[in-house]
Amino acid sequence: MNIADDKLIINGQEISSRLFVGTGKFASNELMKSAIEASGSQIVTVALRRVDIDNENDDMLGAIDSAKYLLLPNTSGARDSEEAIRLARLARAASGIKWLKLEVTPDPYYLLPDPIETLKAAEILVKEDFVVLPYINADPVLAKRLEEVGTATVMPLAAPIGTNRGLSTRDAIEIIIDQANVPVVVDAGIGLPSHAADAMEMGADAVLVNTAIATAADPVKMAKAFKLSTEAGRIAYKTGAAAESKIAVASSPLTGFLRDE
Amino acid sequence: MSKLKINGKEKDFSGKIPSYLSDLLEMLEVDSATVVAEVDGKIIERSNFKTAKIQEGQSIELIRFVGGG
Repeated sequence: MNIADDKLIINGQEISSRLFVGTGKFASNELMKSAIEASGSQIVTVALRRVDIDNENDDMLGAIDSAKYLLLPNTSGARDSEEAIRLARLARAASGIKWLKLEVTPDPYYLLPDPIETLKAAEILVKEDFVVLPYINADPVLAKRLEEVGTATVMPLAAPIGTNRGLSTRDAIEIIIDQANVPVVVDAGIGLPSHAADAMEMGADAVLVNTAIATAADPVKMAKAFKLSTEAGRIAYKTGAAAESKIAVASSPLTGFLRDE
Repeated sequence: MSKLKINGKEKDFSGKIPSYLSDLLEMLEVDSATVVAEVDGKIIERSNFKTAKIQEGQSIELIRFVGGG
Protein backbone atom coordinates (compact mmCIF):
# COMPACT_ATOMS: atom_id res chain seq x y z
CA MET A 1 0.00 0.00 0.00
CA ASN A 2 1.18 3.49 -0.75
CA ILE A 3 1.13 5.40 2.52
CA ALA A 4 0.80 8.68 0.63
CA ASP A 5 -2.62 7.50 -0.58
CA ASP A 6 -3.80 6.84 2.96
CA LYS A 7 -5.90 9.94 3.51
CA LEU A 8 -8.04 10.94 6.44
CA ILE A 9 -11.30 12.40 5.15
CA ILE A 10 -13.71 14.14 7.51
CA ASN A 11 -16.94 15.57 6.14
CA GLY A 12 -15.52 15.27 2.64
CA GLN A 13 -12.42 17.25 3.53
CA GLU A 14 -8.95 15.77 3.40
CA ILE A 15 -7.07 16.25 6.67
CA SER A 16 -3.29 16.19 6.37
CA SER A 17 -2.45 14.85 9.83
CA ARG A 18 -3.95 12.15 11.99
CA LEU A 19 -2.76 13.96 15.09
CA PHE A 20 -5.10 16.68 16.35
CA VAL A 21 -3.77 18.98 19.05
CA GLY A 22 -5.37 21.06 21.76
CA THR A 23 -4.18 24.53 22.71
CA GLY A 24 -4.90 24.54 26.44
CA LYS A 25 -2.36 24.66 29.26
CA PHE A 26 0.63 25.96 27.28
CA ALA A 27 2.95 28.20 29.28
CA SER A 28 2.95 30.81 26.50
CA ASN A 29 1.48 31.49 23.07
CA GLU A 30 4.96 31.26 21.61
CA LEU A 31 5.45 27.77 23.01
CA MET A 32 2.00 26.75 21.80
CA LYS A 33 2.78 28.01 18.32
CA SER A 34 6.06 26.10 18.13
CA ALA A 35 4.50 22.92 19.51
CA ILE A 36 1.64 23.02 16.99
CA GLU A 37 4.18 23.49 14.24
CA ALA A 38 6.26 20.54 15.46
CA SER A 39 3.17 18.33 15.77
CA GLY A 40 2.48 18.62 12.05
CA SER A 41 -1.21 18.83 12.96
CA GLN A 42 -3.80 20.51 10.82
CA ILE A 43 -6.72 20.36 13.25
CA VAL A 44 -6.26 22.52 16.34
CA THR A 45 -8.87 22.82 19.09
CA VAL A 46 -9.80 26.02 20.92
CA ALA A 47 -12.30 26.94 23.64
CA LEU A 48 -14.63 29.90 24.23
CA ARG A 49 -14.65 31.88 27.44
CA ARG A 50 -15.82 35.22 28.74
CA VAL A 51 -13.56 38.19 28.14
CA ASP A 52 -12.00 39.41 31.38
CA ILE A 53 -13.13 43.03 31.22
CA ASP A 54 -10.98 44.09 34.17
CA ASN A 55 -7.70 42.78 32.84
CA GLU A 56 -5.83 42.72 29.60
CA ASN A 57 -6.77 39.77 27.44
CA ASP A 58 -4.31 37.64 25.69
CA ASP A 59 -5.19 37.05 22.03
CA MET A 60 -4.16 33.45 21.54
CA LEU A 61 -5.79 33.20 18.11
CA GLY A 62 -3.22 35.65 16.79
CA ALA A 63 -0.60 32.96 17.36
CA ILE A 64 -2.40 30.43 15.14
CA ASP A 65 -2.17 30.87 11.38
CA SER A 66 -5.75 30.34 10.25
CA ALA A 67 -4.67 29.76 6.65
CA LYS A 68 -2.55 26.82 7.73
CA TYR A 69 -4.62 25.24 10.47
CA LEU A 70 -8.22 24.21 10.76
CA LEU A 71 -9.57 25.58 14.01
CA LEU A 72 -11.90 23.26 15.85
CA PRO A 73 -13.84 25.19 18.53
CA ASN A 74 -15.05 23.09 21.44
CA THR A 75 -18.02 23.46 23.74
CA SER A 76 -16.02 22.81 26.90
CA GLY A 77 -17.72 24.05 30.03
CA ALA A 78 -21.17 23.07 28.74
CA ARG A 79 -23.11 21.08 31.32
CA ASP A 80 -26.11 20.25 29.15
CA SER A 81 -27.25 20.33 25.54
CA GLU A 82 -28.62 23.87 25.79
CA GLU A 83 -25.31 25.28 26.98
CA ALA A 84 -23.44 23.32 24.30
CA ILE A 85 -25.72 24.62 21.54
CA ARG A 86 -25.31 28.19 22.79
CA LEU A 87 -21.51 27.83 22.75
CA ALA A 88 -21.63 26.24 19.31
CA ARG A 89 -23.58 29.14 17.86
CA LEU A 90 -21.26 31.65 19.51
CA ALA A 91 -18.21 29.84 18.15
CA ARG A 92 -19.64 29.96 14.65
CA ALA A 93 -20.53 33.64 14.99
CA ALA A 94 -17.06 34.41 16.30
CA SER A 95 -15.11 32.51 13.67
CA GLY A 96 -17.36 31.55 10.79
CA ILE A 97 -16.23 27.98 11.41
CA LYS A 98 -18.94 25.34 11.41
CA TRP A 99 -16.75 22.49 12.60
CA LEU A 100 -17.31 21.78 16.26
CA LYS A 101 -15.94 19.54 18.95
CA LEU A 102 -19.10 18.85 20.91
CA GLU A 103 -18.44 18.16 24.57
CA VAL A 104 -20.95 18.13 27.39
CA THR A 105 -19.35 17.41 30.74
CA PRO A 106 -21.62 18.04 33.71
CA ASP A 107 -19.40 16.16 36.15
CA PRO A 108 -16.48 18.37 37.25
CA TYR A 109 -14.49 15.59 38.91
CA TYR A 110 -13.94 13.13 36.08
CA LEU A 111 -15.20 15.42 33.29
CA LEU A 112 -16.98 12.48 31.76
CA PRO A 113 -19.26 13.35 28.84
CA ASP A 114 -23.03 13.11 29.29
CA PRO A 115 -24.23 10.70 26.58
CA ILE A 116 -27.87 11.79 26.56
CA GLU A 117 -27.19 15.52 26.40
CA THR A 118 -24.44 14.97 23.81
CA LEU A 119 -26.77 13.02 21.53
CA LYS A 120 -29.51 15.59 21.98
CA ALA A 121 -27.18 18.49 21.13
CA ALA A 122 -25.63 16.60 18.20
CA GLU A 123 -29.01 16.02 16.60
CA ILE A 124 -29.89 19.72 16.74
CA LEU A 125 -26.45 20.98 15.67
CA VAL A 126 -26.29 18.64 12.67
CA LYS A 127 -29.62 20.09 11.53
CA GLU A 128 -28.13 23.57 11.93
CA ASP A 129 -25.43 22.50 9.49
CA PHE A 130 -22.60 22.15 12.01
CA VAL A 131 -19.90 19.57 11.34
CA VAL A 132 -20.10 17.80 14.66
CA LEU A 133 -17.20 15.88 16.19
CA PRO A 134 -18.59 14.60 19.50
CA TYR A 135 -16.43 13.77 22.51
CA ILE A 136 -17.92 10.65 24.10
CA ASN A 137 -17.23 7.90 26.54
CA ALA A 138 -16.11 4.74 24.79
CA ASP A 139 -19.66 3.49 24.29
CA PRO A 140 -20.17 1.60 21.02
CA VAL A 141 -23.97 1.97 21.09
CA LEU A 142 -23.76 5.72 21.61
CA ALA A 143 -21.16 5.96 18.83
CA LYS A 144 -23.62 4.29 16.45
CA ARG A 145 -26.46 6.54 17.54
CA LEU A 146 -24.34 9.64 16.94
CA GLU A 147 -23.28 8.40 13.54
CA GLU A 148 -26.96 7.85 12.69
CA VAL A 149 -27.86 11.45 13.52
CA GLY A 150 -25.09 12.62 11.21
CA THR A 151 -21.97 13.43 13.22
CA ALA A 152 -18.79 13.71 11.16
CA THR A 153 -16.73 11.55 13.53
CA VAL A 154 -16.97 9.95 16.93
CA MET A 155 -14.32 10.79 19.52
CA PRO A 156 -14.22 8.24 22.33
CA LEU A 157 -12.02 8.91 25.33
CA ALA A 158 -9.01 6.76 26.16
CA ALA A 159 -9.13 7.90 29.81
CA PRO A 160 -10.55 10.99 31.54
CA ILE A 161 -9.33 14.36 30.23
CA GLY A 162 -5.83 15.31 31.32
CA THR A 163 -5.10 12.05 33.13
CA ASN A 164 -2.40 10.81 30.72
CA ARG A 165 -3.37 7.23 31.53
CA GLY A 166 -3.58 5.82 28.04
CA LEU A 167 -6.07 3.39 26.53
CA SER A 168 -8.04 2.37 29.61
CA THR A 169 -11.08 1.86 27.37
CA ARG A 170 -9.30 -0.36 24.86
CA ASP A 171 -11.91 -3.11 24.44
CA ALA A 172 -14.78 -0.70 23.87
CA ILE A 173 -12.73 1.41 21.45
CA GLU A 174 -11.98 -1.74 19.45
CA ILE A 175 -15.71 -2.34 19.06
CA ILE A 176 -16.32 1.30 18.10
CA ILE A 177 -13.61 1.11 15.43
CA ASP A 178 -15.02 -2.19 14.18
CA GLN A 179 -18.53 -0.77 13.78
CA ALA A 180 -17.92 2.83 12.73
CA ASN A 181 -18.61 4.24 9.29
CA VAL A 182 -17.22 7.64 10.29
CA PRO A 183 -13.66 8.35 11.42
CA VAL A 184 -12.88 7.40 15.02
CA VAL A 185 -10.70 9.92 16.84
CA VAL A 186 -9.38 8.77 20.19
CA ASP A 187 -9.57 11.83 22.40
CA ALA A 188 -8.54 12.47 26.01
CA GLY A 189 -6.25 10.59 28.33
CA ILE A 190 -3.51 9.88 25.82
CA GLY A 191 -0.37 10.56 27.83
CA LEU A 192 2.51 9.15 25.83
CA PRO A 193 3.48 8.74 22.21
CA SER A 194 3.21 4.97 22.73
CA HIS A 195 -0.46 5.42 23.69
CA ALA A 196 -1.06 7.28 20.44
CA ALA A 197 0.74 4.59 18.46
CA ASP A 198 -1.29 1.97 20.30
CA ALA A 199 -4.58 3.62 19.33
CA MET A 200 -3.46 3.99 15.73
CA GLU A 201 -2.28 0.37 15.54
CA MET A 202 -5.76 -0.66 16.68
CA GLY A 203 -7.20 1.16 13.70
CA ALA A 204 -8.22 4.53 15.13
CA ASP A 205 -8.34 7.12 12.36
CA ALA A 206 -6.78 9.87 14.45
CA VAL A 207 -5.90 10.91 17.99
CA LEU A 208 -6.37 14.20 19.82
CA VAL A 209 -3.70 15.23 22.32
CA ASN A 210 -3.41 18.31 24.49
CA THR A 211 -2.21 17.88 28.09
CA ALA A 212 0.53 15.37 27.27
CA ILE A 213 2.13 17.86 24.91
CA ALA A 214 1.34 21.16 26.63
CA THR A 215 2.54 20.09 30.07
CA ALA A 216 5.60 18.10 28.96
CA ALA A 217 8.99 19.45 30.04
CA ASP A 218 9.62 20.31 26.39
CA PRO A 219 6.27 20.61 24.56
CA VAL A 220 7.90 21.14 21.17
CA LYS A 221 9.93 17.92 21.35
CA MET A 222 6.96 16.03 22.75
CA ALA A 223 4.78 17.29 19.91
CA LYS A 224 7.33 15.91 17.47
CA ALA A 225 7.35 12.57 19.31
CA PHE A 226 3.56 12.37 19.05
CA LYS A 227 3.71 13.21 15.35
CA LEU A 228 6.12 10.34 14.72
CA SER A 229 4.28 7.83 16.89
CA THR A 230 0.92 8.63 15.33
CA GLU A 231 2.37 8.12 11.87
CA ALA A 232 4.18 4.96 12.94
CA GLY A 233 1.03 3.49 14.44
CA ARG A 234 -0.96 4.24 11.30
CA ILE A 235 1.61 2.69 8.98
CA ALA A 236 1.76 -0.40 11.19
CA TYR A 237 -2.04 -0.71 11.13
CA LYS A 238 -2.25 -0.39 7.37
CA THR A 239 0.61 -2.85 6.93
CA GLY A 240 -0.86 -5.48 9.24
CA ALA A 241 0.83 -7.03 12.24
CA ALA A 242 2.97 -10.15 11.91
CA ALA A 243 1.51 -13.32 13.48
CA GLU A 244 1.75 -13.96 17.22
CA SER A 245 2.97 -17.27 18.62
CA LYS A 246 2.99 -18.82 22.09
CA ILE A 247 6.35 -20.48 21.62
CA ALA A 248 9.58 -18.98 20.37
CA VAL A 249 10.11 -18.81 16.63
CA ALA A 250 13.82 -18.36 16.02
CA SER A 251 14.88 -15.39 13.99
CA SER A 252 18.33 -16.81 13.23
CA PRO A 253 18.80 -19.99 11.13
CA LEU A 254 18.42 -23.28 13.02
CA THR A 255 21.12 -24.95 10.94
CA GLY A 256 24.89 -24.66 10.67
CA PHE A 257 25.54 -24.51 14.41
CA LEU A 258 29.17 -24.87 15.50
CA ARG A 259 28.66 -28.22 17.19
CA ASP A 260 28.63 -31.92 16.27
CA GLU A 261 25.25 -33.60 15.81
CA MET B 1 -29.40 54.23 37.40
CA SER B 2 -27.40 53.42 34.31
CA LYS B 3 -26.35 49.86 34.67
CA LEU B 4 -25.52 47.03 32.33
CA LYS B 5 -24.82 43.45 33.24
CA ILE B 6 -21.57 42.51 31.56
CA ASN B 7 -20.36 38.93 31.71
CA GLY B 8 -22.56 38.27 34.71
CA LYS B 9 -21.48 41.35 36.67
CA GLU B 10 -23.42 44.59 37.12
CA LYS B 11 -21.51 47.59 35.90
CA ASP B 12 -22.55 51.16 36.61
CA PHE B 13 -21.84 53.67 33.87
CA SER B 14 -22.88 56.65 36.05
CA GLY B 15 -25.30 58.15 33.57
CA LYS B 16 -23.28 57.45 30.45
CA ILE B 17 -24.25 54.15 28.93
CA PRO B 18 -22.49 53.83 25.57
CA SER B 19 -24.85 54.11 22.60
CA TYR B 20 -23.61 51.17 20.56
CA LEU B 21 -21.88 47.90 21.23
CA SER B 22 -18.77 49.16 19.44
CA ASP B 23 -18.67 52.13 21.86
CA LEU B 24 -18.96 49.82 24.81
CA LEU B 25 -16.05 47.69 23.60
CA GLU B 26 -13.96 50.78 23.07
CA MET B 27 -14.78 52.04 26.54
CA LEU B 28 -13.82 48.67 28.04
CA GLU B 29 -10.67 48.57 25.91
CA VAL B 30 -11.65 45.22 24.41
CA ASP B 31 -10.38 44.52 20.90
CA SER B 32 -13.56 43.95 18.91
CA ALA B 33 -11.71 41.93 16.28
CA THR B 34 -11.32 39.02 18.67
CA VAL B 35 -14.71 39.11 20.37
CA VAL B 36 -18.21 37.79 19.85
CA ALA B 37 -21.11 39.31 21.75
CA GLU B 38 -24.48 38.26 23.02
CA VAL B 39 -27.04 40.87 24.07
CA ASP B 40 -29.93 39.52 26.13
CA GLY B 41 -29.21 36.08 24.77
CA LYS B 42 -29.08 37.15 21.13
CA ILE B 43 -25.82 36.79 19.24
CA ILE B 44 -24.55 39.97 17.62
CA GLU B 45 -22.27 39.39 14.64
CA ARG B 46 -19.06 41.40 14.66
CA SER B 47 -20.15 43.25 11.52
CA ASN B 48 -23.13 44.61 13.46
CA PHE B 49 -21.24 45.90 16.51
CA LYS B 50 -21.42 49.46 15.19
CA THR B 51 -25.19 49.40 14.71
CA ALA B 52 -26.20 47.34 17.77
CA LYS B 53 -27.80 49.80 20.20
CA ILE B 54 -27.24 49.34 23.91
CA GLN B 55 -29.96 50.01 26.46
CA GLU B 56 -29.93 50.23 30.20
CA GLY B 57 -30.45 46.98 32.03
CA GLN B 58 -29.32 44.73 29.21
CA SER B 59 -27.28 41.64 29.85
CA ILE B 60 -24.22 41.53 27.64
CA GLU B 61 -21.81 38.67 27.18
CA LEU B 62 -18.42 39.29 25.61
CA ILE B 63 -16.72 36.10 24.59
CA ARG B 64 -13.46 35.17 22.92
CA PHE B 65 -11.39 32.16 22.00
CA VAL B 66 -8.88 30.81 24.49
CA GLY B 67 -6.63 27.77 24.56
CA GLY B 68 -8.52 24.52 25.04
CA GLY B 69 -8.47 20.82 24.28
